[in-house]
Amino acid sequence: MSADAMRKFFAPRSVAVIGASAQAGKPGNVVVRNIRDNGFAGKIYLVNPRGGEIEGLPVLKSIGELPRGIDQAIVTLPAFATPQTVRSLAARGIEAIVLAASGFAEVDEMGEALQAELDAAIAETGVRVIGPNTTGHVSVPANFTSSFFPLGKVPRGKVSYVAQTGNFCGISLRHIMSAEHFGIARSIGLGNKADIEESDLLEYLGEDDETAAILMYLESIKTPRRFLKVARKVSRSKPVILLKGGASDEGAAAAVAHTGSLAADGRVVEGALAQAGVTRIHKYSQLFHVGKALDCMPLPAGRRVSFLSPSGAFTVTLTDICRGLDLSVPKLQETTRKRLQKYAPPFIRMRNPVDIFGSVGLHGYETAYGDALEAVLSDRNIDAAVVIMMLTTETGVPSFDFLVDAAKRHPAKPVYVTFMGQHEHNVAAKDWLEPRGVPCYMDVETPFEVLSILARCRENMRGR
Amino acid sequence: MAANPAGTAARILRAARARGQTMLTEHEGKRVLGAYGVPVSRERLVTTLAEARAAAARIGYPVVLKGCSPTEAHKTEKGLIAVGLDSQAALSAAFRDMKARAGASFDGGWLVQEMVKGSREVMIGMTRDPVFGPSVAFGLGGIFTEILQDVVFRIAPLTKRDALAMLAGIRAAKILAEVRGMPAADRDALAASLVAVGRIALDFPEIAEIDINPLILRGRKAVAVDALMVLSEEGA
Repeated sequence: MSADAMRKFFAPRSVAVIGASAQAGKPGNVVVRNIRDNGFAGKIYLVNPRGGEIEGLPVLKSIGELPRGIDQAIVTLPAFATPQTVRSLAARGIEAIVLAASGFAEVDEMGEALQAELDAAIAETGVRVIGPNTTGHVSVPANFTSSFFPLGKVPRGKVSYVAQTGNFCGISLRHIMSAEHFGIARSIGLGNKADIEESDLLEYLGEDDETAAILMYLESIKTPRRFLKVARKVSRSKPVILLKGGASDEGAAAAVAHTGSLAADGRVVEGALAQAGVTRIHKYSQLFHVGKALDCMPLPAGRRVSFLSPSGAFTVTLTDICRGLDLSVPKLQETTRKRLQKYAPPFIRMRNPVDIFGSVGLHGYETAYGDALEAVLSDRNIDAAVVIMMLTTETGVPSFDFLVDAAKRHPAKPVYVTFMGQHEHNVAAKDWLEPRGVPCYMDVETPFEVLSILARCRENMRGR
Repeated sequence: MAANPAGTAARILRAARARGQTMLTEHEGKRVLGAYGVPVSRERLVTTLAEARAAAARIGYPVVLKGCSPTEAHKTEKGLIAVGLDSQAALSAAFRDMKARAGASFDGGWLVQEMVKGSREVMIGMTRDPVFGPSVAFGLGGIFTEILQDVVFRIAPLTKRDALAMLAGIRAAKILAEVRGMPAADRDALAASLVAVGRIALDFPEIAEIDINPLILRGRKAVAVDALMVLSEEGA
């Protein structure tokens, strides 16, 4: 796909909203608010046959009144009006179009006929289309979005999402922004993929300097062999992570009904994605757990983990978890071990995983955790560290600066934090640490799952 | 590998088509595989007992005798395989038995095959996935293919690295390692066979399905002792 077409979608200089609305909550109104909330610096044209003013902007009564040379159009009109609108926009020289309407092939036969009409309009005019049946897309470096889901200002980050759902330009993006405290580079809701599909976007994001990693949710793959070829190339230079909806037989049947596409043999899908260097995940929440880690921490160089635990049970059970995730909890260097021993009660022999409870009792949180974290991050045998914090009002809540500082001193090794203790303190710690670049996970297993996934990404990049 | 494997295979396929076959016989399938460099058992197709004896003498006892027909994909179930025939007498008895069992309507010949000895069996397959197209499979062979379903796939064409990843990718990957006094398998050779099957799939869209099961590990080398190639209606 041409760089110019992608530029028009992801860094437009001007945009027209067809079906702009004065009524709060309507898609045609939310889009306009979103564009302004994100500080889009380009020109915004609104079209609605009623004319007047919307959000303080003048409204043109028809597409014919639009000046020529507008980069992109967002269409929030109902499905039946879409094919004709595409032709009218093409006649005004607009080549990049986002179609929000649902009610096409995903619903019924009438919708199918309508989509065939739309396909013809796209083919005859040569315009490029995202959608239909999409929430839109987000391009933070351009302060731009076509989403009609209320977003507010989306923070800038390093990962991009390509999803066969509007969630990552909608509710899941809101979750990312409000609960996970990270930003994104680009996000695209694919919708029905009448034109632009995952392979186009994977190719674009693979070359995109703003995108350090690509997370995908797909139920079907429109051009499977092309996808494998593109993924094989892109996955060498940046992580390509995929949640494939319809992995179970029942899920696949639902996806077939949903998209009308054929289902591949699950074992073939597995092999094909492995061959293409795509790192497959199996939980929806991992799409943002992993995204968060990729946004603010490096990829681990390998699978060797150390963790600091306030509980003996965690040293045991999380070592089991690591084994199951193909992570190792290796022996520390003797110098590291001796350093850990310095703050520990003499009757405890310090090792990996690090049982930190005794040291905290003797020297307090910041000294015990801080020195131990510094020790394991300096260890040549360790690729990443997980800190399990124990926070309660009675045992005290320390300042967390030491975590931020330790992570900064070791920019090649990921540091993740998780908790066990008093919920309000955990949440407060997460709210404080994440904006400062230290990812936190509310379940003790999650940071290890994330490390395991990212270790696979690293191996895929090496072409294992 | 033959100088022109695709040419050799094309001749075999064309002839089978001309006879109206919907699959290749085991012998034809192995000739295709052999042309592409996949190691196959030494064997000879015969029609009479005298020819069978001559073939066995050349190959050396013990031998395997199989019914070889373009319509018979289930030799074991039909009693059309006799293994470990260690003398001319045993071969003759097996030949008469099998011929009687096959009946007058049997339209094939008889395959006299070397007995490939080894206790480790693997399989290589090819299916055309409705989404990803020609896919090569590797897994445990023999009866364990169905029982354990320990099989991995990659999409053709395969690189050598893809093929090596397949060998490492089955749960029972240790079967290829040095184990219980048996040597480690020649992974490069096995990988080359996987790559070859991917090439066959791309060279001949009219082959709908390939099932090479088992390949027996004779020492380090995996040798194909049975092969099924199903042809599709279209693409001829």
